[in-house]
Amino acid sequence: MKPARLASLVVLALVLAAVAAGAQEPYPTRPITVVAPFPPGGVADLTARPVAAAMEKVLKNPVGVVNKTGAAGAVGMQFVATSKPDGYTLLLALSSISIIPEADKLFGRPPAFTVDQFAPIALISADPTVLVVPADKPWKTAKDFVEDAKRRPGQISFSSSGVYGTLHMAMELLSHAAGVKFRHVPYAGAGPALTAILGGHVDALASGPAVVLPHIKSGKLRPLAGWGDRRVAALPEVPTFKELGYPDAEFYIWAGLFAPKGTPEPVLARLRDAVRAAVADPDFKAGMDKLQTPVAFKQGAEFQQFFDADARRLADGVRKVGKIETK
Amino acid sequence: MLETLQNLAVGFSIALSPSVLLYAFAGCVVGTLVGVLPGIGPLAGISLLLPATFGLDATRAIVMLAGIYYGAMYGGSTTSILMRIPGEAASVMTCIDGYAMARKGRAGAALAIAAVGSYVAGTVSVVALMFLAPPLAAFALRFGPPEYFALLLLGLLVLAYMSGGSMLKALAMAALGLLLGMIGIDQMTGYFRFAYGVVELGDGIGVVPVAVGLFGLAEILATAGQATPPDVIKPKLRELLPSRREWKESAGPIGRGTVLGFVIGIIPGSAHIISSFVSYALERKLSKRPEEFGHGAVAGVAGPESANNSATSGAFVPMLALGVPSGPIPAVMLAAMMVHGVSPGPLLIKNQPELFWSFIASMYVGNVVLLILNLPLVGLFVNLLRVPYPILYPSILVFCVLGVYAVNGSVVDVWIMLAMGALGYVLRKLGFETAPVVLGLILAPMIEMAMRQSLAMSDGHYAIFVTRPIAATLLAVGLLLVLLSLKSLVTRSLDWRARLALAEKGEGHP
Repeated sequence: MKPARLASLVVLALVLAAVAAGAQEPYPTRPITVVAPFPPGGVADLTARPVAAAMEKVLKNPVGVVNKTGAAGAVGMQFVATSKPDGYTLLLALSSISIIPEADKLFGRPPAFTVDQFAPIALISADPTVLVVPADKPWKTAKDFVEDAKRRPGQISFSSSGVYGTLHMAMELLSHAAGVKFRHVPYAGAGPALTAILGGHVDALASGPAVVLPHIKSGKLRPLAGWGDRRVAALPEVPTFKELGYPDAEFYIWAGLFAPKGTPEPVLARLRDAVRAAVADPDFKAGMDKLQTPVAFKQGAEFQQFFDADARRLADGVRKVGKIETK
Repeated sequence: MLETLQNLAVGFSIALSPSVLLYAFAGCVVGTLVGVLPGIGPLAGISLLLPATFGLDATRAIVMLAGIYYGAMYGGSTTSILMRIPGEAASVMTCIDGYAMARKGRAGAALAIAAVGSYVAGTVSVVALMFLAPPLAAFALRFGPPEYFALLLLGLLVLAYMSGGSMLKALAMAALGLLLGMIGIDQMTGYFRFAYGVVELGDGIGVVPVAVGLFGLAEILATAGQATPPDVIKPKLRELLPSRREWKESAGPIGRGTVLGFVIGIIPGSAHIISSFVSYALERKLSKRPEEFGHGAVAGVAGPESANNSATSGAFVPMLALGVPSGPIPAVMLAAMMVHGVSPGPLLIKNQPELFWSFIASMYVGNVVLLILNLPLVGLFVNLLRVPYPILYPSILVFCVLGVYAVNGSVVDVWIMLAMGALGYVLRKLGFETAPVVLGLILAPMIEMAMRQSLAMSDGHYAIFVTRPIAATLLAVGLLLVLLSLKSLVTRSLDWRARLALAEKGEGHP
């Protein structure tokens, strides 16, 4: 055998060995994309970025965040639902992931995606909404508010982030739990909904605690009750609807990481470990502290259980709202 | 007063420190680029760069993001004037007279007027922001859906002054725009309208693809369709600066545009886009020679360009004074503050005086930077016109496609742009003006939402529009304007439109 041919055979053998090794090399071997289905600056984006940065340290591969927005998140969620289940395209979804398919069903539309197209990886944060009213309104407690709503059905108005949006669903869950009816004024996003209550154009708003805290402190808004199973840390004097005897009024704006269904179990396990390490990362904790968003890590069966219960409540909520008839 | 000046001095000392200055400069440069590139507007630019600011401190981050916002308003005029491509939605009006000026060899003058107008508006409106923020913000919040509806209705009246030709044609185009604006999710019920199963159409048709298609692509197609290519404009150096007459005619529009833009800008919502449309209409109404509009009236550049710049400062008023996310861009900036642990709210100015005052000071500095950046660039940009059409136009097409795609990463937007380009070409051949389409498209979703929100607030009673003082006043003003325009019908006197029509008949064809 000529030396040149020998050399090329050796090279070939080395290449083959490298390829074989590559096939067995554990996930991940290339950059991972986390899709945030909402624009930069929103809850999904602001959660996704610190999580991705912390996961990068664990997975030793770049983890990038891509904002794929549109149709209240449906565009990005649909994109991940139909992505290759190889663990390289993940979704950072909010509570609305359970609402959109249910609303599609309600209107008889072919659903953009269904929840069972996703494999839950881990819950990252869960923030219960709180009920706020303008400080110049007469209601001092949630009891005043609900009783007045009973006396005047359909008279007390609330703003929301949009029809069937998260802030709308929170109020609907309350209205069914308490057997009252409110007047709904939808806005295009949580920002405009907050502006509306600050301008005194509506009477109430269910909102994430962080964005209303400064307005509570300045005396513009009054918190009445929270939707969580325990009180909000920053508002220890504000009771929960559960305490007040409305156990069905439970609602969280949560953020969780999902992979497309069919992602191999070892990959999912690796991702769960990465997220667990990520939420313990000091940088991540500091980042979430600044946003005043409580970290609530759940994984595996625990997350599945939380997700299923939440999806059931929301699906039920959407069905109870039904199609909206406007005058 | 004295305290304000002291605070401002502290603000300047921070804003002029090299590291903060660097970020203000970077923001202005990026903003200018974002404005120049067709498609990508300030919202997309800020959104794309937001993650990059997470590593900075709050002051630097906010100063840079604000620089992108008002820098985009400077940059937006460039492609509008040179190539009739709106860099972002607020520059649509500049396309009309700015481009007409460029065809006459006055591109340099138009660019210089736009830059100076933007500078004056930017600086004056920061003064207003500094002194008037808290009381104005409280007033702005009183604009709920009924007031917004009344304001937008006034915006519809503006349509009457948008076109120089046939009123019927202008209204037909506005109707087309309003119809296009109906596409997308019905915000009040969640129904998809005219989406035909395309998820991306759920958000409706974007203003940017439509504007770039109707103006830019249509212009390119029209030029390509001519039997002989138009002469390449060779601007001469001494023609770069505006003439004495052009300065004189711009002064009034710049002043009025500044006030108008600021007032519209402080109102929460997305109405700031219409500030340039309203300014254009106002200047045409006040002009002694309204027939010049559309054929290179310098006031048609000066007014809208000033208005869109001061509207950006106006939009900061509720954001800084009350921590209210008064529009999509302030909302992103508030998020940036939260990322840095600054809690935006009514106590921001009190608790974070350094942030507030260095922000204000940086806006003064930024406007100077932009003026210095933009005036010399006039000479450079104008030379783009020397590029032969077979090279220039394909390159512009590439940039249009890239820019429109980059906004949402959506191919559907690119198709919309191409379809609108074809439509714009046909409309042009038939003598229709396309600016009313864009205004209709902007107004339709806002006006519908405001009206239905108002009715949701009042449980379906229309009285809500007349029982609230601001809404009632605005509607009364609108009614008055309509009655005034009917006057000429009654007295049978010819208004400028009729005179123009007669003149055109006399000339044969314009």
